[in-house]
Amino acid sequence: MSARASQGRNVATNSLAQIGHCGLFLLTLLAAIPRSFRYLRETIRQLWFVGAMSLTIIMVCGLFVGMVLMLQLYHVLSIFGGTSASGMVVALSVYRELGPVVTALLFAGRAGTAITAEIGLMRATDQISAMEMMAVDPIAYVATPRFLAGLIAMPLLSCVFSAMAIFGGHLVGVTWLGIDNGTFWANMTAVVDVRTDIVNGVLLKSLVFGAVVSLIAVFQGFTTPPTSEGVAYATTRTVVASSIAILALDFVLTAFLM
Amino acid sequence: MSQARSSYAIGTGLFIVLGFAALAYLATQTSSLANVHQGDSYTVKAEFTNIGQLKERAPVKIAGVRVGQVQSIALASDHDVADVTLSIDKRYNHIPRDSVATIFTSGLLGDQYVGIEYGQAKQVVAAGGSLARTKSSQPLEEMLGKFFGAGGVVDNVGGSYAVTADFTNVGTLSVGAPVKMAGVVIGRVQSVRVDPVKLNARVVLAIDKRYNQIPDDSSAAVFTSGLIGSQYVAIQPGGSPDALKNGDEMILTQSAMQLEDLIGKFMVNGSPGDKKDAGDGKK
Amino acid sequence: MTDPVDATPDDATLVRIRGLTTVLGGKTIFDALDMDIPRGKITSIMGPSGTGKTTLLKHITGQMHGDAGSVHVDGREVAALSRQGLYKLREGIGYLFQNSALLTDFDVFENVAFPLRQHTTLPEVLIRNLVLMKLQAVGLRGAARLMPNELSGGMMRRVALARAIVFDPQLILYDEPFVGLDPVALNQVLKLILTLNQTLGITSVVVSHELAAVQQIADQVMLLSNGKVVAQGDPKTIADDGSPWTRQFFGGEADGPIPFRYPAGDYATELGFAGAAK
Repeated sequence: MSARASQGRNVATNSLAQIGHCGLFLLTLLAAIPRSFRYLRETIRQLWFVGAMSLTIIMVCGLFVGMVLMLQLYHVLSIFGGTSASGMVVALSVYRELGPVVTALLFAGRAGTAITAEIGLMRATDQISAMEMMAVDPIAYVATPRFLAGLIAMPLLSCVFSAMAIFGGHLVGVTWLGIDNGTFWANMTAVVDVRTDIVNGVLLKSLVFGAVVSLIAVFQGFTTPPTSEGVAYATTRTVVASSIAILALDFVLTAFLM
Repeated sequence: MSQARSSYAIGTGLFIVLGFAALAYLATQTSSLANVHQGDSYTVKAEFTNIGQLKERAPVKIAGVRVGQVQSIALASDHDVADVTLSIDKRYNHIPRDSVATIFTSGLLGDQYVGIEYGQAKQVVAAGGSLARTKSSQPLEEMLGKFFGAGGVVDNVGGSYAVTADFTNVGTLSVGAPVKMAGVVIGRVQSVRVDPVKLNARVVLAIDKRYNQIPDDSSAAVFTSGLIGSQYVAIQPGGSPDALKNGDEMILTQSAMQLEDLIGKFMVNGSPGDKKDAGDGKK
Repeated sequence: MTDPVDATPDDATLVRIRGLTTVLGGKTIFDALDMDIPRGKITSIMGPSGTGKTTLLKHITGQMHGDAGSVHVDGREVAALSRQGLYKLREGIGYLFQNSALLTDFDVFENVAFPLRQHTTLPEVLIRNLVLMKLQAVGLRGAARLMPNELSGGMMRRVALARAIVFDPQLILYDEPFVGLDPVALNQVLKLILTLNQTLGITSVVVSHELAAVQQIADQVMLLSNGKVVAQGDPKTIADDGSPWTRQFFGGEADGPIPFRYPAGDYATELGFAGAAK
């Protein structure tokens, strides 16, 4: 067997092993949920860090995504004289795809990397060992609160993102490009369905993405070699793995939900 | 630290409230729920001969302002008209009895809605009353024709007439290709078939009814837009006082240049002037 | 924090290690190690770098388990304890990390209060007083509201010490407490270790390789090398006991029984001189 082929096989088996390891880690996390109830305050603190602190980037990005989407749609739809449908298309594309996906990607970049780096550094500086020594379960105290916080924060952030995108679309479409305000809303409200678009689109997708991103972030933080180099690699891996997982899962979820 | 802690809790609480507020906004203001929840309303009936794509919960507008929604649509029991029940907000209870209810389309791709234009009558429509004067949904094809004029798609159902032309060779001319006069699109190729008797291509051209003054001795040629572009039919007006009518046949035709011929001419006479000559020669 | 059903409460030995064998990544760390750490004394574990001193501490706290042999702490077999039992055991052990391991999210006060908040439901006033008492003991009451990144290395170690003793443990493990300290800070830490041992009777295990510091406080010294205790005795006299190990280690000689080379295969073979190896 050539060296390259065996290397390729190694990469494949390593990735599989990582996924398996990650799955087992998820079970550990879930098993620690009852024990982490006593650290509710820590969960709230993490919710502040991963959720509230991500609000600015989410809101600004949501606004711009909505604005640019409206701008593009306006020019395309004006070819067909269908600019009045642009509000509806903005709403549908944001609710079904862009809202959860872009929020999750931003979340991975903003909160996921922070979680990985923080846990990695906590391990590098023996803080995790210190917790074990102080008879505090690091999984229940460090990992699960961050996982839960990501799980809770993502759907909320996704809602904020979508609302800002609609607002941005309205700003560009109605205020600047002169689409009729009533038409904008009427077309949107006529087509957007609460169950298929908002619950299945925004909420369910972002719940899954939130779980995946925070799982990957916590997992990378806990398994990386506790050195500055290891932490740097783990942070990169969090973004790469999260992005791939988000987009792949988005396809699967869309195929199932539509 | 306890102060810092409570500020975390407050900030996190605000974040959660904001998230849920955004969710509530999405669910109630931008979705179909927005159409369900409305204040007190009264119903008015209207009969339409054709409602097109009108759906229940479609908006009812006066002067572009949403005043209510379509509550129900049913076929009248006795004759072939649609009974549409409009649910209108109580605040707008001054609609004159002779107002006209029209089914409009919002934009080209938008859904249809009911527009009410005020009449002159002093009496207003009472709750449960009906609007006698209605305008039915306009066929989409007419709308399209109006929207695009000569520049775009020409409707081929109501607004055009058919003319046939025989070509010895149509090249790659396909159904739907434009028919142009003086470079302006005036119609579409409706069908391309081989005539079983004459063994040439019989092309049916659908020409917009607005262009009904084309002389009947006009010629038709199959041109290519650019060297590798798609092919289209160009009509060169003749001098006859009689105009082409539906079902007429165009006698003078010029078939498509074979690409091989074009290239051959290029290769032999490769100068731009010759190319121009070749183009002119086609006409 | 002493377990009421302590198996051997009157035993003079707090930590009893018998036949401990640990192999990590193909390298034998402990080779049938026997060790007794007496109750109420300061025991210093010394040895060259990489002989597993820190690893030994991890065995005592149950963060690692040996491949063979046993570790008994206060009569309890560490490897046999459940997670709850292990956590119960650890509540009675203070551990001073080499790099202090303060929680960077919290200030000094909350770091020291952390174990109390996690394991008790004491009223805030009591927690406050307990923490301030411990901080006063290490002389850092005034630094209660500083964050760990605002502290010097010596201060961080003292905060970590305050945290380690907040539960009044019966055993404190000091992992390299003197590394990277200036002479003043070093002597402060030395004095603290001695005071804690003498006033509270806390059994102390000090892992270090600085003989001068150890000699001032330790009741006994154990020299660890090649996975075994190669010498033990009084710190004042151990350097002169005549064993080649102590002579090399305390004399700081480059040549001696302590291996300079990491275990490796045959040199000539690895260089490719197959003929020479034959």
